[in-house]
Amino acid sequence: MNELIPLMVIVPMMAALLLSAFSKFNKVIKCLALVVGICLPIIPLASNYGLHFFGGYQPIMDNVTNVIYHPAITYSFDFMQQIFIAMIGLLTFLVIFIYLTKYKKASGSYLFLLFMGTAAVTALILTDDIFHMFVFFEILALAQVGIVAASSIDYSYEMALKYMILGAIGSPMMLLGIGFLLAMTGTVNVTDIVSIIRGGLLDVTSPVFLLSLGLIFFGWLYASGLPPFHTIKSGIYSKAEPHGAALLQSFTVISMISIVLIMFRIYSTLPIFEVLVVFFSVVAMILGVSMALTQTDFRRMIGFLAVGELGFIGLGIGLGTQYALTAGLFQALNEIVITALLFIGFGAIVHATNEVDTRKLGGLLAYHPKVGIMLLAGGLAMAGVPPLSGFQSKLMLVQASLSCGYPELSILAIMVSIATFVVFVKTFYSMFLSPKPHDLEVVDNEVPKAMVFAMAVLLIVIIALGIFPDVVTSGISNYVGGLLP
Amino acid sequence: MIEFILMIITIVSAILALIQKDLLKAAILTGFSGGALAVLFQILLAPDVALTQAIVGAAIVPVFIALAVKKTQRGDA
Amino acid sequence: MMAETQLAILFTSIALVVIGLYAAIFVDNIIKKIIGISFIEEGANLFIVGIGYKAGGIVPILMPNMNTTWFASNASYPLPYGLVLTSIVIGASTLAVMLSLVMVLYKKYGTLSTKEMLADTSKQEEYNE
Repeated sequence: MNELIPLMVIVPMMAALLLSAFSKFNKVIKCLALVVGICLPIIPLASNYGLHFFGGYQPIMDNVTNVIYHPAITYSFDFMQQIFIAMIGLLTFLVIFIYLTKYKKASGSYLFLLFMGTAAVTALILTDDIFHMFVFFEILALAQVGIVAASSIDYSYEMALKYMILGAIGSPMMLLGIGFLLAMTGTVNVTDIVSIIRGGLLDVTSPVFLLSLGLIFFGWLYASGLPPFHTIKSGIYSKAEPHGAALLQSFTVISMISIVLIMFRIYSTLPIFEVLVVFFSVVAMILGVSMALTQTDFRRMIGFLAVGELGFIGLGIGLGTQYALTAGLFQALNEIVITALLFIGFGAIVHATNEVDTRKLGGLLAYHPKVGIMLLAGGLAMAGVPPLSGFQSKLMLVQASLSCGYPELSILAIMVSIATFVVFVKTFYSMFLSPKPHDLEVVDNEVPKAMVFAMAVLLIVIIALGIFPDVVTSGISNYVGGLLP
Repeated sequence: MIEFILMIITIVSAILALIQKDLLKAAILTGFSGGALAVLFQILLAPDVALTQAIVGAAIVPVFIALAVKKTQRGDA
Repeated sequence: MMAETQLAILFTSIALVVIGLYAAIFVDNIIKKIIGISFIEEGANLFIVGIGYKAGGIVPILMPNMNTTWFASNASYPLPYGLVLTSIVIGASTLAVMLSLVMVLYKKYGTLSTKEMLADTSKQEEYNE
C-alpha cells in the first residue's frame, strides 16, 4: 500500500494542527494524542516499499536524450526509512505517554510542537528533493526552539533564542548552497542531480560546486550539532524537559543522517567531502567526550556524550564504503534508542530529587534500584559493552575503518569508547553508589510509572538489537548498496 | 537602468537601517529595503514573488519589528 | 547589457548577505541582529530569483494564443520563483518567533544588549547558587 507513504508525514501534521485547535478540551486532546501516538509506529511497518510522487506527476522520459526527469516532489521509502520512522514513531509515542501521565492538564501547543517535530524529521528522511529538505529543516528548527522555550527550566528562553539566531544564520547559508546547485543543474530533485553528475554534464571540479558543498555543509553542521555548534546543542538538551530532550536528540540524529545521505549522493565524487565529514566527526568525538568529563550537571554531560556519539555516525558515513555506511547508520539507530533511555532515566532522577548536580547526589540505588539498573545498562550500551547494541555498531565501525586502511581512526574510536565508559561510570558512581549526602532530600520516592515503562521498552529494543543485529544491518546494507555509484 | 537604481536603494537602505540609533527608523528603513527588492523582483520577471515580497518585506516585517520596538525600547543602547 | 544585469544581481545579493552577516555577528543590539538576519534571507532570495532570470525574456505565464515554441525559448525559468515564495514566508515566520522571544526576554532583563541578555548562561547559574 504505497498510499501510506505520505500519511507518515500527514498524520502527525494533521494531529498537530487539530491538537492546537482543540486545546481547550483536555480529554479530547489527550485521547487524540494517544491514538495518533499509537498509529505512528504502525503506519511505516504496514506500508510497502516504493516511491510516492506528490500530485501524481509520474517521471517524464525525454525521448530524444533518454533521460528521466522527476517533476514531482518525490518520497522514497525503503527499509532504512522504514526502520528509522518506526523507531521515531515509537519514541514519540513513549514521550507523549510520559507527558500525558505527568501533567493532568495537557497543553495543546506543546503537543503541537512534539508532533510537528516528528512530522518534520519524517519528511526529512523520506524526501528526495533538496528544497523540500530545506523547508522541513526550518520547520524542525522552529519546533525544537519551541520545545526548549516551553520547558520550565531557568534560562530556557535564552538558550532558545541563541539556537534560533544561529539557525537563522545557518539556514540562509543552506538555501544559498541549494541555489548554487539549482543554478548548475536546473533541478532540485536529488536523483536527477545525481544522474546529471554521473553523466558528466557537470564540472565537478568547478569552484561553484565546491562552494555549494561548503554552504550546505555549514547547514548540516548546525542541524547535527557537530563542532562548532556542540555547546549550543548540548545546551538545548539540558534546557528542555527530560522527555523533550529524549525526542530532541532523536530529531538531531535523524536530520543529521538524512542530510548527510543526500550530500553523500551528490558530492561523493569529491574526495574533500569525505575528508571534511571525517574531520568534523573526529573533532566532535574528542570534544564531546572531553567536555562531558568536566561537567557536573548530568543533563549537560549526557548532552555532550550524545554529541560525541554523533561523531561515530559521521565517521562511518565519511569512510564511504558499503560496510562503513551500514555501520554508521546502525550506530545512528542505536544512538537514538540509547540516548533516549539515558535522558528519560536521568529525567526520572530529576523528578525524584529536584537536583541536577552530580556532586550533591548519592546513594540513590537504595531508593530507585529499577531506574539505576536500567540506566547502567543504557550507559554500558553507549560505551559499547557486549552484548548490548552499542557494541555491535561500534565493532562494525572499528572493522570498517581497519578495512579502509585507517587503523589510527579505529584506535581513536576505541579510545573514545573507553573515555565514554569512564565518564558514565564516574557519574553513575557518584549518583547511585557513593554515600548519600546529609543535605540531600529525596522529594518524591515514586518514580512515574510511565517513565519506567518507557525505559523498559527502550531497554528491550537495545538488547534485541544487540543480540540480533542482522535483522537491521542486512536490510540497511542492501539499501546502502543502492546509493553507492 | 532602473534595476541598478533599485539595487543601490536596497543596499543603501540596508546599511542605513543598521547604523540608525533610533530602532523605529531602522524598522522603516528595513521596509524600504524590502519594498525596493519587491519592485526589483517585478523587473526580474517574477511578478508572483514580487507580490509576496511586497506584502511580507515591505509591510509585515517592518510592522513586526516596530511592534517589538514599541514593546521594548526605542533607543539603541 | 544582459550579462551586466545578472552580475549586478549577484553583487547585490552578496552585498546583502555580507551586510547581514556583519550585523548578525558584530552588532550588539539584538533587534539589529535580527534585522541583519532578515537581510541575509533577502540576499539568498534575490540570488535564487537571479538564477531564474533570463535577460530580455518574458514573464513565464503562457497565454492561450501564444506560440509555445516561442514561449519556451523566451520565458524565464519559473522553478526558482516557486522556491523563493516559500522561503520568503519561512523567513517572516522565523523573524516573528525571534522577536517574540526578544520581547519575553526584555521583560526579564530590561535591555536589548546581547552581551547582557545572552551572556554565558552557565555562568549565570553559578551566580545563583
